[in-house]
Amino acid sequence: MSTDNDKANDTGSAPLHGLLAEYDNPTALVRAAEKVRDAQYEHWDTYTPFPIHGMDPAMGIKPTVLPWIVFWAGLTGCVVGVGFQYWTSVIDYPWVISGKPFWSIAANVPIAFETTVLFSALTTLGAMLALNGLPHPSHPLDLKRRFAKVTDDRFFLLIEARDKKFDATDTRALLESTHPAVLDDVAEDRVTSDKLPTVILGALAVLTTLAILPFALAYKARVSKSDQPRIHLVPNMDNQPHIKAQQESPIFADLRGMRGDVPGTVAQGNLQEDDHLYRGKLEGGAWARTFPKEIAPSEQNMKRGEREFGIFCAPCHGLSGHGDGMIHERAAALGQGTWVQPTNLHQDYLRQQPVGELYNSITHGVRNMPGYGHQVSVEDRWNIILYMRALQRSTAAAPTDVPESERGALK
Amino acid sequence: MAATIKAGAAEVSAATSGLNPYQGPPVGDNVFAKITQNVSRVMEVPKPPRAWYIAFGIALTLLSIFGACLGWVVWEGIGAWGNMVPVAWAFDITNFVFWVGIGHAGTLISAVLFLLRQNWRTAVNRFAEAMTIFAVACAAIFPGIHIGRPWLPYWMFPIPNQMGMWPQFRSPLEWDVFAVGTYATVSVLFWYMGMIPDFATFRDRSTSTIKRAAYGLVAMGWRGSSRQWHRYERAYLLLAALATPLVLSVHSVVSFDFATAQLPGWHTTIFPPYFVAGAIFGGFAMVLVLAVPARQFFGLKYIITIKHIELMAMVILATGMVVGYAYGMEFFIAWYSGSMYEGFTFQNRAFGPYAWAYWTMIFCNVVSPQIFWWKKMRSSPWVAFIVGVIVNVGMWFERFVIIGTSLARDFLPGSWGYFIPTPVDYLTLGGSFGLFFTLFLLFCRYLPMVAMAEVKSIMPEAHVAHGDHH
Amino acid sequence: MANTDKAGKSPKQQPAQGSTSAAGVTLPNGDNVSSEGLADNVFKIAGAVGVVALLASLGLGVSAGDDLAQFSFSYLVAYAFVLALGLGCLFWVTLQHLVNAHWSVVVRRLGELFAANMPLLALLSLPILIPIVMGNHALYVWTDHAKVEASHLLHGKAGYLNVGFFLGRMVFYFVFWSALSRFWLKRSVAQDLKPEAGVTRRWQGIAAPSMILVALTLTFSAIDLLMSLDAAWFSTMFGVYFFSGAFMSANCLLALAAMWLQGRGRLVKSVSVHHLHDLGKMTFGFVVFWAYIAFSQFMLIWYANIPEETAWYKVRFEGDWKYVAIFLLVGHFIVPFLGMMSKHVKRRRGALTAWTLWLLIMQYVDLYYLVQPTRLARVLEEAPAGEAVNATLPFHLLDLTCLLALVALFIAGAAFNARKKNLVPVNDPRLEKSLAFTNL
Repeated sequence: MSTDNDKANDTGSAPLHGLLAEYDNPTALVRAAEKVRDAQYEHWDTYTPFPIHGMDPAMGIKPTVLPWIVFWAGLTGCVVGVGFQYWTSVIDYPWVISGKPFWSIAANVPIAFETTVLFSALTTLGAMLALNGLPHPSHPLDLKRRFAKVTDDRFFLLIEARDKKFDATDTRALLESTHPAVLDDVAEDRVTSDKLPTVILGALAVLTTLAILPFALAYKARVSKSDQPRIHLVPNMDNQPHIKAQQESPIFADLRGMRGDVPGTVAQGNLQEDDHLYRGKLEGGAWARTFPKEIAPSEQNMKRGEREFGIFCAPCHGLSGHGDGMIHERAAALGQGTWVQPTNLHQDYLRQQPVGELYNSITHGVRNMPGYGHQVSVEDRWNIILYMRALQRSTAAAPTDVPESERGALK
Repeated sequence: MAATIKAGAAEVSAATSGLNPYQGPPVGDNVFAKITQNVSRVMEVPKPPRAWYIAFGIALTLLSIFGACLGWVVWEGIGAWGNMVPVAWAFDITNFVFWVGIGHAGTLISAVLFLLRQNWRTAVNRFAEAMTIFAVACAAIFPGIHIGRPWLPYWMFPIPNQMGMWPQFRSPLEWDVFAVGTYATVSVLFWYMGMIPDFATFRDRSTSTIKRAAYGLVAMGWRGSSRQWHRYERAYLLLAALATPLVLSVHSVVSFDFATAQLPGWHTTIFPPYFVAGAIFGGFAMVLVLAVPARQFFGLKYIITIKHIELMAMVILATGMVVGYAYGMEFFIAWYSGSMYEGFTFQNRAFGPYAWAYWTMIFCNVVSPQIFWWKKMRSSPWVAFIVGVIVNVGMWFERFVIIGTSLARDFLPGSWGYFIPTPVDYLTLGGSFGLFFTLFLLFCRYLPMVAMAEVKSIMPEAHVAHGDHH
Repeated sequence: MANTDKAGKSPKQQPAQGSTSAAGVTLPNGDNVSSEGLADNVFKIAGAVGVVALLASLGLGVSAGDDLAQFSFSYLVAYAFVLALGLGCLFWVTLQHLVNAHWSVVVRRLGELFAANMPLLALLSLPILIPIVMGNHALYVWTDHAKVEASHLLHGKAGYLNVGFFLGRMVFYFVFWSALSRFWLKRSVAQDLKPEAGVTRRWQGIAAPSMILVALTLTFSAIDLLMSLDAAWFSTMFGVYFFSGAFMSANCLLALAAMWLQGRGRLVKSVSVHHLHDLGKMTFGFVVFWAYIAFSQFMLIWYANIPEETAWYKVRFEGDWKYVAIFLLVGHFIVPFLGMMSKHVKRRRGALTAWTLWLLIMQYVDLYYLVQPTRLARVLEEAPAGEAVNATLPFHLLDLTCLLALVALFIAGAAFNARKKNLVPVNDPRLEKSLAFTNL
């Protein structure tokens, strides 16, 4: 008994979807729902413009699991937030900032909190929609013209025909007993296509592509190489005028872009009052024959000296110090005639030379050798000499150098 | 349906005869239908009132100025602003904090008042939520452009980049990215979820196919099933419970930007709750600024009543006192600390070169809300509107006072300076209002301005009668 | 019914009640809301326990021969605990009037009774104030004239931190708190006898300016009594920190008191599970708020790392104190946060009792952590560099006796206030709504 103001449907052949009762106030609907609940129907529902308090018990709706899902999502968010910060700040990219430890839990709380809330909130909406089966594009009720008022001011109750207890006459009688304003059959929907409209499908495809695009480009940039200079979107801001070393600057009267220290000042940490340490000289100006007190002949300093020697000295003087580094070998192989072999460090005069003088040679250079003072730190220059002394000793060892207990092995 | 169609026709004829179709009491044969009709006619009537066009024109003009300013800043660099050393943060960050603050009342009204069962919130919560999202959109622009190379803001996000570097998670500025990002996301979710049932109403009332399809798409097939309402209500409660600490965290994190530093005037432990209170204060003031004209021009007086205005005025008075408490406490502790720098900073605020900004702030935020002690003033919409405007001015100045005056004179007199804004500074600030109001006016025209389902659910008629059944 | 049975079991108290009072009224729902037969007993027992414990504490304190140092600190922690309960209740009652709350009417009288302990708390502040007047410097360094003169910093603060002004402020706080709390109780009881029209509106008007003064006095009393223990340290957040614990403990106290009375056949129908749920929610909310405030204060000071501020926390991470810090984090936030999240916990009496009791203990631990390390800080200040300092927790019998004394006297005071009064404001126009209140 479909009413004539319903939308077009092939009602003649469409099977029955269910029975729809309409009420004009919430109380009547709740009373009706209680009756249907007590009659133990399963596939039925009520439809209202707003949530009605007291409807859940009236319909026998069990509490949803949603809070639990959200709780676990929040916990996941918290763990991810903490774990990600730990991994990036401690393992993958440790970087000292304002003297804080890499793992500064107090500074990680805000972000961990935000990820907790973010995961929970996204899950709340997502899980609510999923549990409710939304989006739900078409429904047989949509064909009922009166049903449009469900989002306005009317209250509906639908018992579906697929319910085991559904019986055309009994169910109708049950609903009649609840005094609905209107009681009506609902036919299955035979007019609306099951498929999504092409417009929506197309739009989804375009959106998906657009969403993937930036990530694809970023990935391409990470795995490929390019000879092109990078793109300057805003050249004005990328290439800002600034003074490079040795350039002129119109700002100053002397046109020098680099500015010297203000007369009478010393930069912090550059006072360097200790002659022995910084210049290898004793008070009277003589070369120091001992190491400064800051440089102890320790295993650690020796290792450090070996390392620095390997980096800065060995290319010319050779790893063993015989003046046969790989630069010398290459130059000798080219045989160009002007090449002077680097000094052999195992010569006697070098064995006797005061460490202060060696320090001075490393700092300022000697003959063909350039100074390394601006490349190698003060401590490391001393460490190099420490190592060099050990090296020199290795080619001029006496039997007395061997500990007494081991000396027997020499024979 | 027939009744509504008739009512719609009456409105159309009213519109053609030159009357404002939004005015006049809503029609319908019951209280629920009246609410539906009152809210929906904004979307259904072919033309909005003239005031809307005027406002939209002004907003669009401001928006284009904003766009031009941003373009100029991108091209020229932030030298276009008056920022300098020592005042390296000036209007940019002031505007950011100002807009983020405005963006707080929305979630506050939606979530906190929901948890506190303040039912009056239903009249204004949708407004406030929309306001939140638009304000956060305005706010998010400023950290993006103040970094100097605005095409590289993705460096702030935790994505593997070409340089093998990660953002610095121990920095409060990075916390901001997460806090504001999360807040924007959750606010949109909350807003959208609240609108699903109302979109369904619009869908079912639409007469044109395009509108029907558009509203139908966003309503996702909502039909008001009680089984769905059950989960929906639970989800709404959960989102409210999540949004409440979130809203506290966002402005707290913004306050950390300053308070973790050692600069006198920035480093003070009361900043987190003080910033939150200030945000609520400014946010409610902005709701008044928006709600008073909206109810006037769109005929929403039947939903947003004088009672609502009065309650919001009370909230403004209360939060204004909290802000005043924080001002006082900062001053007292600056003296009590015995630190000469702290002491100087506050002396300098009140009597130094920026004293004009300080006293503007005090007048706007502490003095002007005192008018709300009188009921007559609280219940006058236009007084509330004016105080709302004044408070917003005051809250902008509060951020400027904190940022500008503290930076301008720090520990070392040799590095003192005085910030003078350029025209670009002023126009960017003004222009950001253009973005805000453009979005807001579009919202008023096309989206459900009031949460219909929620308003209906708190009507006495919505309650199920007890006792007459067995 | 259960309530009439229980009331009938103690008929001997009946003659003690004045026949002219409004007490003994039964609500329309047949609930027993009278304090008869309970208040006197509680007053006598708790009062006796309190007085004995207080005398024992004084005896122990004086005989310790440490110039009252142990006694002063133990007493101050316990005193801060009960003062926080009283102030929390005063704030709570004023807040209910300010926002014109309906739901809370059935428990508001309990809040009024506890808040009205202010004159008693003023009296109990004497063991702190009298030694100061007598020239004992055990608690506050700034009371020592010689030290103030020797320290540039203390000298600079002397305008605020001096004995005369301190005492003046104390008098002002207690006069105001007593007047306000007595006012709320008196007006509310008067309403029981004779309902007045429009009174709720007037109360709201009074609550608004009172609230401002309550907030200010609460803040400055916290600064005076607790923050100035370390006269060099300062935090603008301190008042809010003290408030967060005070308000939380007040909610715990009200929930516990209501449930205890229900066990004695009172308020059985008036205070429903919905009201308890709301008190539980407030408690839960303030557990989170406390964590927020405590974290913000710690994080900001840790992050900026300014010596004069971090010194305060440094001491509190010294030796065994760091375990207290971790215990506070876990016991005052993480565990109750997870434990009280579910609404079923807040609606189950057994669970709610356990959690509120636990949180009251944690509130005491929190105050202990604020106050006691001060002594370690002073030892460290005096100790020569490099010398090992005993940083174990200074537990002492006096901690227990002082707490017992003050809590017992606080309860006795509330019971004294409750004599011949109803436990619910029976004529409050909002009562009907409060009785019918249902929670989400």
